[in-house]
Amino acid sequence: MTHPGPASPMFWRFNPEVYRLVGIKCKDCGHISYPRGMICHECGSQNIEEYTLPKRGTIHTFCVNWAPPPQFEPPITPVIVDLEGGGRYLGLMTETATPEDVKVGSKVEMVLRRLTRDRGLNIYGYKFRLTEEQ
Amino acid sequence: MRGKVAVIGVGMIKYGELFDKSLEDMVQEAYSNCLKDVRKGIDPKEIKAAWFGQWSGGFIGQGLQSGNSLASLIGNLDIPVTRLENACATGGDTFRHACLGVASGAYDVALALGAEKMRDKPSAESLGGAGGGGGAEVGIHPAWAIGQGGPAIQAFHATRQMYELGYTMEDYARVAVKNHHNGTLCPYAHYQFEVTVERVLGSYIVCWPLHLLDCCPQTDGAAAAIVCRADLAKRYTDKPVYVLGSNTGIDHCQLWDRKSFVEQQSTIRAARGAFEMAGIKPADVDFAELHDCFTNTELLNIEDVGFCGKGKAAKMLQDGEFDMHSRLPINPSGGLKAHGHPIAATGLGQIFELVMQLREEAEKRQVKLKNGIGLQHNVGGPAFGVSAVNILSRSM
Amino acid sequence: MSGIIGYGVYIPKYRLEQQEAAIPWGSWSPGEKSVCGADEDVVTMAAEAMDNAIRHSGVNPEEIGAIYIGTASSPYIEQYVAPILAETLGLHPGTTMMDYSGSLNSMANAILGCLDAIAAKRIGCGIVIGAENRPTAPGTEGDASLGAGAVAMVIGKEGAIAEIEAVHTYSTLFLDRWHSAKDAWVSNFFDYRFDREYGYQTHIVEACKGLLDELGRAAGEYDYAVFPQLDDRIPGLPAKALGIHSERLAPAISSILGDLGSCSAFISLAGILDRAKPGQRILLASYGSGASNAMSLITRGQISKKRRNLTPLKRYIDRKQYLTYTSYLRIREQLARAPY
Repeated sequence: MTHPGPASPMFWRFNPEVYRLVGIKCKDCGHISYPRGMICHECGSQNIEEYTLPKRGTIHTFCVNWAPPPQFEPPITPVIVDLEGGGRYLGLMTETATPEDVKVGSKVEMVLRRLTRDRGLNIYGYKFRLTEEQ
Repeated sequence: MRGKVAVIGVGMIKYGELFDKSLEDMVQEAYSNCLKDVRKGIDPKEIKAAWFGQWSGGFIGQGLQSGNSLASLIGNLDIPVTRLENACATGGDTFRHACLGVASGAYDVALALGAEKMRDKPSAESLGGAGGGGGAEVGIHPAWAIGQGGPAIQAFHATRQMYELGYTMEDYARVAVKNHHNGTLCPYAHYQFEVTVERVLGSYIVCWPLHLLDCCPQTDGAAAAIVCRADLAKRYTDKPVYVLGSNTGIDHCQLWDRKSFVEQQSTIRAARGAFEMAGIKPADVDFAELHDCFTNTELLNIEDVGFCGKGKAAKMLQDGEFDMHSRLPINPSGGLKAHGHPIAATGLGQIFELVMQLREEAEKRQVKLKNGIGLQHNVGGPAFGVSAVNILSRSM
Repeated sequence: MSGIIGYGVYIPKYRLEQQEAAIPWGSWSPGEKSVCGADEDVVTMAAEAMDNAIRHSGVNPEEIGAIYIGTASSPYIEQYVAPILAETLGLHPGTTMMDYSGSLNSMANAILGCLDAIAAKRIGCGIVIGAENRPTAPGTEGDASLGAGAVAMVIGKEGAIAEIEAVHTYSTLFLDRWHSAKDAWVSNFFDYRFDREYGYQTHIVEACKGLLDELGRAAGEYDYAVFPQLDDRIPGLPAKALGIHSERLAPAISSILGDLGSCSAFISLAGILDRAKPGQRILLASYGSGASNAMSLITRGQISKKRRNLTPLKRYIDRKQYLTYTSYLRIREQLARAPY
């Protein structure tokens, strides 16, 4: 089963979202939808403006996955982060020495990392790292 | 919907790791059992439309696509058949479509069948394929696909339930204890062994805070139901079971759009709509089959469907209020945890259980009926944003 | 005159003690080196160094007319890395985006290219990012000594913290160490003594002499001298030949971070700029594959003013977590699971 790779139109279209975290904010209900689109995910309004997700936040929830998909070395720690200023993002933690370092409320920042590879090309995206001050 | 549709036959096969049965074998067996269950007999040609629930054909490459794959297997090519997929709610939603077909007046008799073959691949591959894979295979950029697999999404909830509601891993383990016990009394269940809290917490951690025994198994199975116009039901059986409400509820498909991780809006919406259709309240329900794909999910479901307030389910479980012979038995069949979760079949297997219970034919696991009303629930999909709820009753 | 408007560095937090790599093969060396995590590479390191540099410089990304990457360890032979970094900044397509690769002199050449573009008035401001994560193989010298890191410099005419007075290059055909497209590792030095004297020392000394002649200056006028650190002691060779006192040399970092390749001299430069005062002179020379670029810099008043937006090198040096040799090999994908 072949699927779109990094050189595909799908990946190319998503460059601004993946590399610059561009989404939209609804001027009617305030919801932040990501990736970009014409319509607010929450209320259906088209009264929207571009919004760049902030790169710092606190962990809202997390888990520690010891049975990830085959291309990942276990454990991986996916987190959902409340971003400073609005919005949320889902990503993996990086540089955690032990899974116990990660807690609800931990302060994190986004860093660019290689997520995986496909057919010789690297796929980059943001992961979260605990900030030095907690 | 209320007053228009009745279930006149249900059929299923024993769930398990059925290495010697193909998907086609399971479909035919469940269908055949379903026909036999129509007590006064039915000519298969009386079925005028069919809906075929099948999940993995699109996702993990071991299933069937398109409606005519069912039509061939049941040897009925004269009717419209649609293949339906709505994540873990496929079974309940397939049933809903058959009911809609009848309630609309278009068909007098319709078939809903769901089947899933998960174990032609190693469990880890099927589990990984159940969302949480690389991402690009389903049109999602890998940057946003990681951590969207079933165990990870429910683990996000389990972490938050612990943080916000004070739930513990022991609370989750107690769901497994109850459901495994119920499973030992159900001849169709995948697992038929008891567990203790210690055994659950001692099993290896799949996705913290969930252990291996907090997770439902990878199961092969199939189940079916035949529905007809309520006013024609007695022609086919003396014990018809009536559909009071049937609804599908939706929430966002991306985790970061969701507001809360201690409730699932998809379930809340599905249940609210189903209760409205049925004209009843949660307290009127005698028992329920809820989608406990993971132990903590059962607690979410009990609260989201409306059986108790948020944060109350764990204590009530501990006090035995959801046991087999309590006022509100939850998952008398053993739930997904012990009975199994062949994804597209699950909802229909729960319908099977509801019908057996409402006919008082559930043998060792028969629950006490007061109002004669049972509720079936599924939830799943991307960000667990799809839910199905069906409410059945032994009286119109 | 153009100069460095701001800079930033990045060093991964993982460390391997050099003896951990050396002992399985029978020799022992002191020190430790930095190692990229399993999800890091030249691109990800460059991204953080670049963000640090932009913040320190105070420049608006819209003003950047060119982005240059200098590396000898790009993940690609055909596919530039610069556009990936440009995408994270949202640079418009009219920006010059290019990689300088294929030599440990790459970053120095990237800086030269940027200076030339500014002098030609083709751009007003550019950003040069060097990053290195050279491939190693068990049993080679590099396995114990090649480290990972990145450094970025915003170069322009306004608000420089250090002006670049002149650049002088010296290049010959000289083979000391190489990485062929068919190999998955950087070779050993062919002959360390020949390579360090006729390669490293000669080219650096000739480049510096040419620079000093051009400027009419003596080596003794410089407060600091910065040369690449293949190891801690090698910078002493050109220093001695030029009559520079060893006290003026940049502090040793190769025994704590390893040989940082094309970034080496510039990461050392960053360490010096972290604490230099205005009005100090710095002599810097790079070296790689038979080429050396010598640069003369002088710090300015902005260097103190901008320091509060700086993430110093020391912060990255102090942040560390040690690896075992086994986990190092797994991260480098040299200890792989059989597929079935």
